[in-house]
Amino acid sequence: MIDFSPSATRLRRRLRHSRDRLATLLISAGGIGVIAAVLAIGVFLTLEVLPLLAPSRVTAESPARPAPPLAESVAWLRADARGGLTLLADDGRLWQGHVGETGETGMADQLDRLPAALLGGQSISAVAADASAPLLALGLDGSEVLLVPRAASGEPQWSHARRHSLFAGTPVAGLTFGSDDRHWWLAGHDRNGRVAVLRGARATDDGNLGDPPQRFTLPVSASQLALNNAGRLVVGDGQRLEVWALNGETPRHLGGVRALDSQRITALAYLVGGETLLVGDSGGGVRRWLNARGDRAPLIGAEPYSTPSQAAITRIAPLPDRRLALVLDAAGGMALYQAVAGRRWQGQAPDGEPLALSFTPDGERLWWLGEAGLTQFAIDAEHAEVSWQTLWTPILYEGHDEPQQRWQGDVSGVESEPRFGLAPLAWGTLKAAAWALVFAVPLALGAAIHSASYMSTRLRARIKPTIELMEALPGVVIGFIAGLVLAPYIERHLAGALALAVVLPLGLLLGGALWSRSPHRLRERLPLGWAGVWLVPWLALLVWLALTLSPTLETGLFAGDLRAWLQARLGLDYAARNAMIVGLAMGFAVIPTIYSLAEDALSGLPGSLGEGAQALGATRWQALWRVLLPAASPGIFSAVMIGAGRAIGETMIVLMATGNTAVMSWSPFEGLRSIAANIAIELPEAALGGTHYRLLLLSALLLFVFTFCINTLAELVRMRLKRRYRRLEAGA
Amino acid sequence: MKRWRRGEGGWPWLAAGSVAVSLLMVAALVALLGARGLAHFWPADVELVTLSDGSRFAGQRVRHVETRAETQAKAGGGARTQVLYLTGNRDLDGQYWRWVDAERITKRETPAGLIVLERQRWGEFIGRLVALREDGATQLTRDAGDDALWQALQARLARVEALRERREWLRENRVAPLARRLAAGGEADSQSQHAELTAQLKAARARIADVQRALARDSLVLESVDGRRLAQPLGEVLAAWRPNAMSPFAKLASWGQRLWAFLSEGPRAANGAGGVWPAIFGTVLMVLLMSLIVTPFGVLAAVYLNEVARQGPLISLVRIAVRNLAGVPSIVYGVFGLGVLVYGIGGSLDQWLFSEALPSPTFGTGGLLWASLTLALLTLPVVIVATEEGLARIPVHQREGALALGATRYETLRHVVLPMAMPAMLTGVILAVARAAGEVAPLMLVGAAKLAPQVPVDGEFPFLHLDSKFMHLGYHLYNVGFLGGDVERAMPLVYAIALLLVLVIAVLNLTAIFLRHHLRARHRGPYR
Repeated sequence: MIDFSPSATRLRRRLRHSRDRLATLLISAGGIGVIAAVLAIGVFLTLEVLPLLAPSRVTAESPARPAPPLAESVAWLRADARGGLTLLADDGRLWQGHVGETGETGMADQLDRLPAALLGGQSISAVAADASAPLLALGLDGSEVLLVPRAASGEPQWSHARRHSLFAGTPVAGLTFGSDDRHWWLAGHDRNGRVAVLRGARATDDGNLGDPPQRFTLPVSASQLALNNAGRLVVGDGQRLEVWALNGETPRHLGGVRALDSQRITALAYLVGGETLLVGDSGGGVRRWLNARGDRAPLIGAEPYSTPSQAAITRIAPLPDRRLALVLDAAGGMALYQAVAGRRWQGQAPDGEPLALSFTPDGERLWWLGEAGLTQFAIDAEHAEVSWQTLWTPILYEGHDEPQQRWQGDVSGVESEPRFGLAPLAWGTLKAAAWALVFAVPLALGAAIHSASYMSTRLRARIKPTIELMEALPGVVIGFIAGLVLAPYIERHLAGALALAVVLPLGLLLGGALWSRSPHRLRERLPLGWAGVWLVPWLALLVWLALTLSPTLETGLFAGDLRAWLQARLGLDYAARNAMIVGLAMGFAVIPTIYSLAEDALSGLPGSLGEGAQALGATRWQALWRVLLPAASPGIFSAVMIGAGRAIGETMIVLMATGNTAVMSWSPFEGLRSIAANIAIELPEAALGGTHYRLLLLSALLLFVFTFCINTLAELVRMRLKRRYRRLEAGA
Repeated sequence: MKRWRRGEGGWPWLAAGSVAVSLLMVAALVALLGARGLAHFWPADVELVTLSDGSRFAGQRVRHVETRAETQAKAGGGARTQVLYLTGNRDLDGQYWRWVDAERITKRETPAGLIVLERQRWGEFIGRLVALREDGATQLTRDAGDDALWQALQARLARVEALRERREWLRENRVAPLARRLAAGGEADSQSQHAELTAQLKAARARIADVQRALARDSLVLESVDGRRLAQPLGEVLAAWRPNAMSPFAKLASWGQRLWAFLSEGPRAANGAGGVWPAIFGTVLMVLLMSLIVTPFGVLAAVYLNEVARQGPLISLVRIAVRNLAGVPSIVYGVFGLGVLVYGIGGSLDQWLFSEALPSPTFGTGGLLWASLTLALLTLPVVIVATEEGLARIPVHQREGALALGATRYETLRHVVLPMAMPAMLTGVILAVARAAGEVAPLMLVGAAKLAPQVPVDGEFPFLHLDSKFMHLGYHLYNVGFLGGDVERAMPLVYAIALLLVLVIAVLNLTAIFLRHHLRARHRGPYR
């Protein structure tokens, strides 16, 4: 029953049209949305990586807050995690409270005074105040030191304080403190440069200081001291740094270095972890020295940092939780240095000498007590350890003698230094891909040439899907075979495996020669068009022969053990899971990709090309080599590029078939660690938003951009090729 | 030789050899996987080995290796063969394997009386059966004859198996729901309800305890071939067989049984033994979910690109970009999934909907949904490209014909274009499924679990648990082979898993190919 009345048709037409418009709208919205979602990958990665590039900054809040009481004679300032401040004046007066924006002070009546007996009538002349140290050491101008245990929160426990004599008669001018699980050390120098050390057993948690400490004097003079938590004391005097080990029964001199030629050492401090020493000099230079392992010179100097001015360094203040230090100079400049990345920020300090300064325990804020009052600085240096140099050039890391490119991202705590060098990972990725191509390109192109020009069409219709089905083989299966089956096998039969690379081509040529001399009947039975199949048993025989005969060969040529021979003659270490295995396995995985694209490029050529060449008297091979291959070369090039793109991004095979050691070597017998495998291993454990996490994302972005560019290039080449084919066909 | 040179030279032979080498490698890989994967379930003979010093042990011969390097110096050449035996009895020997010099073996026999027990703890036992005990009292010894004892053991094993099934049933269908209701109810339930539930739970637990006691009734006295005895509770014995006494048919039957157990059971012994059912289920479920997501969106995007959008340089640029995304490494998609889906969307979902469960994440951690979405994203370019190719292949006059007859653009699309493009779409989905099923790297970031014996579908609302972790065959393979302890012990299992994974992918592929063929045939009629 169709209603032909005009109103009904009009209604229906309008309905159809609105439905049409709605569908168009929905499809457009959905299509754009989907494409946007897919393309969002690049955007997301970029956004996540951008914070790595954000410059570090130390920003002052303005204006300065009026100084709290006692500021004029402050000896020690401490900021706690909740914004509270503690000020200790040199005469023992104590103030605790908050300082608001406008200078109003909370708990102002907390003005206190240490018991007079504690200081013994002396005033405070030096302080060793490492925020994480279990003791607060106050040097007194009457040659004694006052040791105050600190609670876990950092709060000094004044009632447990003890006084000990450090020098005879001269005021203490500088103090430095260090402690490990069992001992603590306190080193001080007086105005004349004499150095004395106190060594004590670590207090129990109840705040008891235990036995009186032992006192030693060192036969050196010092203007600067630095002590780490392993009892390593660095004494700076003039141009020299002398290193002492305090962790034995008596202090032991480890040696010294002349750190500077003409300038004098003016500031000295260990960064967190106690392995990196920063040395500031009178010419404004700052240089990093690392504790050496073993019996070498006790300190290894890194390249001096680039510094902004010639003014003498007056103070190096290490941050409590990271390898960062704030460095002040005599010209009123202030700069932030990161151990491996160098200077990250420079700016102006508030006017005048600081009376005291203190970092909050999380290292995110700095309180600066100066002439103008109290200033709070925000230290914004989240990813300060990463710069272009640290990622791609050799860096002197803690625990090494010379600059190296290392990746060691998954470190926890502040004790060990993370090593963020992407170069070994990039190297591993390219090395694995290169070996894969070395293996895959000849095989895939050979197969493509054979199946495009020689193979019988009937066979080709079957072989092509078979080889393409190889592509569906999951990487995890190939990786398993490579890592658990092939790697141990080749380790035992290295000579045989290497012999195959020679035996197979020679055997094929031999096979060809035999075939051409064989009787005509046999040749008709085994035509070249089917050689891809009937050569398989012949090759299997060759493989078997090579593997059985190789032990004899090995005994004859390589003294019975090729691996030992490689090690002795060429210095090549053999790791069971190495680049060669990855090349084999990943080559196997990319053969189908390269094969099918190259085959398409070759068989897509107009038939007239090859036929013309052959009509002019060329053999099939000559026609192929001189005419067809050059014509199809862009397609073959793009096939290889796409294969390379796949090899670069392949994860599971590399993960399973290499030892995942981030080494940079040319040897095919050593392991490697690729970017993709590294992401798979480390990303699940990386803290969200941290430097490690962002660097892993950066490496993912590199993979993305690299493969995207390779594929685009290949795609453009292929498009041009298609156009060329069309022209060729039109011309013919 | 001259003729050969005047012909085409050696190059064609090298080219032909490349095909042959590729085929040889594929054949070797498939043969290796097939042989080793299936041999894992074959009840191999147990050898009773006598060594030159008179000591004896029993075990299954696994493989032999020729070692040369060390012996060269000592013995002056000549390969030395070492044989690896699976000897089991880890509770007696402290180890599971034994390497023996082939020269030291003086005699190898296969006596019919040797049995192999598969146990819940300590792995296999290989030795002899001495006696059967019930409640500590000896019921039957081998004086009654090996066969009688064996028959009795079989009967009792059947009983134990039934009891174990009963226990599992009680756990899953009685105790677990009650415990969940108790945990979920909280204060909402009245006191009396709560008390009643507690009582029911207690009763159910008591029934399990009864079953447990019944399970503990029987025990075996076993003896290793060197005469050490061992009491083995029968409740912990999973299976027993006498490989040496079995006929080939019996062996085949046992092979089938063990194969079935591998496919249908969950993993045991920290993934070191048992089956892979949760991993199969997880893989297939994830791939299904993925194709449900990827098909409509991929087709939508392709239709937009090809039918709706105005063709111009921008669209061709987008087209190239989409095409290239198919070549972007899968791990990059995994990173995207982790960063955006898990941490970004999942984290926000947790804060809005599941804030009471924080800080333990619900959707803010890897799971089935995120894994499916990530893989959908990964395979989207594949579907788009394939569908687009199909759409582009449809002759313009088809569309023009429909439009000329008065159809709107939507109607043309719906009734003419899309049906014709159906085979191409299916091709895309097939390729997507084939790629997704074998993809492991992104799953390591977004949700595959080492061990999740519960499958993500159950009888409890909402039936399909999108937030749960799941097992995946490929990731399971990686875990068992590379993160487990005893590689030697894991190897047969890994082979079996690898074979299974390849088979699953092949089956998925073949099904899809069949489907495509079928549909192509159906749609050929009216339009040609």
